Amino acid sequence: MSNVTEADFGRKNASSTPVVEYRDVRKQYGNFTALDGVSARVNRGEVLCLIGPSGSGKSTLLRTTNALEVIDGGQLYFDGHPLPSSKAEIRKVRQRMGMVFQSFELFPHKTVLENITIGPLTVLGISEAEANARARVLLEKVGLTDKADRYPANLSGGQQQRVAIARALAMEPEVMLFDEPTSALDPETIGEVLNVMKRLADEGMTMVVVTHEMSFARRVADWVVVFDHGKIVEQGPPAQIFDAPREDRTRNFLSHLGWNG
Amino acid sequence: MDFDFSPVTDNWRYLATGLGITLLLSILTVVCSLIAGTLIALGRMYGPTWLQKILTFYIDSQRAIPVLVVLVWIYFALPVLTGVNFPPFWAALLALTLHISAYVAEIVRAGISSVRNGQTQAGLVLGMSPRQVLTKIILPQAIIRMLPSIGSIISITIKDTAIAAVIAVPELMKRAETVSGQTFRPMEVFTTIMVVYFLVLFPTTRLIDRLYDRVSYRGRS
Repeated sequence: MSNVTEADFGRKNASSTPVVEYRDVRKQYGNFTALDGVSARVNRGEVLCLIGPSGSGKSTLLRTTNALEVIDGGQLYFDGHPLPSSKAEIRKVRQRMGMVFQSFELFPHKTVLENITIGPLTVLGISEAEANARARVLLEKVGLTDKADRYPANLSGGQQQRVAIARALAMEPEVMLFDEPTSALDPETIGEVLNVMKRLADEGMTMVVVTHEMSFARRVADWVVVFDHGKIVEQGPPAQIFDAPREDRTRNFLSHLGWNG
Repeated sequence: MDFDFSPVTDNWRYLATGLGITLLLSILTVVCSLIAGTLIALGRMYGPTWLQKILTFYIDSQRAIPVLVVLVWIYFALPVLTGVNFPPFWAALLALTLHISAYVAEIVRAGISSVRNGQTQAGLVLGMSPRQVLTKIILPQAIIRMLPSIGSIISITIKDTAIAAVIAVPELMKRAETVSGQTFRPMEVFTTIMVVYFLVLFPTTRLIDRLYDRVSYRGRS
């Protein structure tokens, strides 16, 4: 079902079924075309970075992946199956995808530990002991073991975002979706979040990352998709996008950000 | 001008049981109104359109009619229409609850609406159902945010119970009128109950403000 094109040659797991595949995806808000026929794929174990100017559609595409935004045209496949339309089926799909928001969205009335266990406890129905054990492992992974009993209000932005990553991982997702995860952070805490994401990528997690952190995309991405005005301008391995972009619009966008290789 | 507080001291037991009835009526009204108001708000926000319309009309009408009129209507007019007679205490409880619930509903609705959409999305992406998102994520935060307004509603309710005197519910105000009328000492009697109301209400509102200061960070997303 997934046609491997010439451009995909050499990508990780290029011959197996992609975890997520977008085919000619369209999204319209009234008169505004947010996504104008977008096609891309994410293979197992790949890190896909979506870059481009604000309002170019990259976040919208990310949010169609788990049906936070419903597409108006085209097709979206998860693990080889079209994204279901029934609410119950969508809930099941969402359980297999983790999502991290720009504004963290931790639950302020729950402690750090409870934030991480609430998903597995309410949705997966595992025991509290198991959920707590899982949460403690994840807290260690994101380096926040000592904050388990704190409330989000007592954490820095970087710490909150790392908890949010742990909360998403607690569902043991097959793919992690990051929506500008460092855009709301103070510069000095961006690194700690990117490090956690880098480690996750090294462990083989499939990731789709909307980001303005070009050095992260350059270093961590397996595949980069450049957006402009709801369309894909160019996609390719980071070496191509950052060192030898084929499109003027890619070059323009990167030079606006001060990217010089 | 000479002061004589003996009517108050001589009748303290009579007045104290009046205060007891004031407090009982207040507590029952607050509990019933919080439950009813929450259900009304949820019905108005998530119910079918016809229910939303009815509840909106109900809330608007209660905000447009004085509580005294509601009380008198239930006690004197409703029996004529339906043949059902409520004892004064229950008529007061019903009227106050009918009235206060409408305000609680608006507070609950504002509280729920104030929790930003990202919180709902964070729950949904974990695979939660809309009901789970509401009960586990939105309502707990909304309740914390509502505390200051709920504090105001509680104090308004306690004060509003005084109007039950007009249908002869033997609460503090009614008993004060009786004592004052029998002893011709309105200044002493009414000054006393003014102070009593203050002594009940002031700590109550303070306590709720304190509680809010302590937990408000848990409602800030």
